[in-house]
Amino acid sequence: MSTLDEGPLVARLRTGTEALLSPTTETDRERRRIAALALPFVALAVFGAVVPLVVMFRISVAEEYLTATAGVQFDAWVTLLASILAFVPGVGSAVDADPVYGEVIWNSLWFGAVTTVASVALGIVIAHALEKYDLPGEGLLVTLISFPISLPGIVAAFMMIVWFGKTGLLTNVFVWLGGEASLFPAVTSNEVKLTGRPSGTTIAVFGLFLGYLYSMVPRATFLLRGAYAEVNTDAEAAARALGATPWQTFRYVTLPQIRPGIVGAVILTFRTALAIFGTVLVLKALSVVTFRFDQILKVGYDLPTASALAGLFFFFTVGFTFLSLRFTSAEVTG
Amino acid sequence: MPERVTLDGVTKRFGDTLAVDDVSVTVEPGETLGLVGPSGCGKTTTLRTVAGFETPSEGAVEFGGQEVTNAPPEARDVGLVFQSYALFDNMTVRENVEFGLKMRSLPKVERAERATDLLELLDIGELADRDPTTLSGGQQQRVGLARALAIEPRVLLLDEPMTGLDAKLKSRLQREIGSLLEDLDVTALYVTHDQAEAMVMCDRIAVMNDGTIEQVGTPDEVYERPANDFVADFVGTSNRLAATARDGRLDFGHATAPAPNGDDGEVTVVVRPEAFELGGGPFSATVRERFYLGEHVRAVAELPDGESLTLRFDPTEAPAAGEEVSLALDTDRVHVLPEP
Repeated sequence: MSTLDEGPLVARLRTGTEALLSPTTETDRERRRIAALALPFVALAVFGAVVPLVVMFRISVAEEYLTATAGVQFDAWVTLLASILAFVPGVGSAVDADPVYGEVIWNSLWFGAVTTVASVALGIVIAHALEKYDLPGEGLLVTLISFPISLPGIVAAFMMIVWFGKTGLLTNVFVWLGGEASLFPAVTSNEVKLTGRPSGTTIAVFGLFLGYLYSMVPRATFLLRGAYAEVNTDAEAAARALGATPWQTFRYVTLPQIRPGIVGAVILTFRTALAIFGTVLVLKALSVVTFRFDQILKVGYDLPTASALAGLFFFFTVGFTFLSLRFTSAEVTG
Repeated sequence: MPERVTLDGVTKRFGDTLAVDDVSVTVEPGETLGLVGPSGCGKTTTLRTVAGFETPSEGAVEFGGQEVTNAPPEARDVGLVFQSYALFDNMTVRENVEFGLKMRSLPKVERAERATDLLELLDIGELADRDPTTLSGGQQQRVGLARALAIEPRVLLLDEPMTGLDAKLKSRLQREIGSLLEDLDVTALYVTHDQAEAMVMCDRIAVMNDGTIEQVGTPDEVYERPANDFVADFVGTSNRLAATARDGRLDFGHATAPAPNGDDGEVTVVVRPEAFELGGGPFSATVRERFYLGEHVRAVAELPDGESLTLRFDPTEAPAAGEEVSLALDTDRVHVLPEP
């Protein structure tokens, strides 16, 4: 590039920097305010996301720092992708690989989807009740509902043990009703220690499901309460007067209005479901991605594979959020 | 056939607050009854009680002789028109109008026909496929009205439907909707805080204050013969002058005038600004303020006893501020209230 080409660019940079440091117009001052306000976010993005992601990706292709002798190794990615392919029905049999990663990804996705649907559905019911009716003790109710947000997943798991553990409240009730073998507790035995793969019974997975809901329902509820606050109550009243039952009013008038809130709640809760660790670590009912991380790092300390899995996790989450928001935006502005 | 709507001793309490207090009123078949009053007087609560959104603490609501006090809104066949339009943003104009018919499971063809007829009637046929959020306030209100009328309601309830519209549009819509309601022969309850609007739109007016009805009458009855001080003050501009009625005359202290009826004793005389005419006595007053309002001049004058009078003059003959004027009183247009 010639000096003549660089001239205007350097001049523009200099002018921009000067305007930022000593603003003379309101537009300059506004830019400076934006720059100042964006600074914490930029710092957070660099230190909390960009640098760790780059390092993580680097580790996934070269555990030691890159040297001429070590070079780039794609073994971890190959292992990971082969494992995913091996799990895919139809083509899996043709791939000679352990389908463990395909299995944990599938578990994370289906379990995340099921818990998300349940959490958002419950969130709609609770938000509807809170926003549409004067409930007795509403303040206390809101506090109780918000409580799990500030509790770690381990506590959620503990709650499930209290109910479904070997000496849990419900376990005792079932045992009292049907004898010793009537209920397998939510906490699986030491099978995971032997095989590294928990295969929870239905009731154990149900316990984990409740543990997930414990963390996810409050998040969905509070997001949906915001959406409900924007609902045009006159339109709901008009629908009732026109002959719509409360259910029809919800379906035709309320639901379309809270749809952006629902999509937001789905994004938030699904990402929460993918990220929950403490609950699944304690209950060990299903091997999901976060649980597998723990296994990879505890058992083999396989940093490249953990990094590759984390990278995949990151790109999936970002892609999912991006697509969902784009879809929501299309729905809203459509 | 339009139906009679009756409220019989309707009372509504919210905790310790008495929102509506023993309201009894009848809306005759095909009539438009205006519920007017200041904010918080209970008119919207009364309307919501008729619609079924509030259950009265006491009293009953009847449509055509059938009690509906405890019936849910969807079982009452009422059309609601709101100040906020309350259109369904996720539906087109046509789908909005068809909504009530869809809830009644009417065949699609019949729904479409009725919606087309109503949209044409309200002069918004070309907007049928539009998103209601892209329409002007006046157009949205027409859609709201078409939607409410589509179900052929037993009673049409209008809650401040013109508030928020600009003056010119408001005046045009008032004329159009007024004649439409008359042509359609629908029983309607029209809630507004604007007494002038109620006078244009309604066959009769019920003036509400503090949860009770102060007076029910035709617009001219309420304006010319207010039942009490509140109605005189709320409906239009009025001068309320203390006088002593004796031997067929009203003695104001500084002037006397013939009494319109046989009252005796201390009274309050309600005089509208237009009942005073310039010149001829017996009143004399000093003009203190003068406001040119285009069609007329409004002046505030002071009587010899210090009382203020609001007067209305033709701009060509209006006196200047500071001028002393002689005023005649058209005693056919005064209304005498006995002292409470």
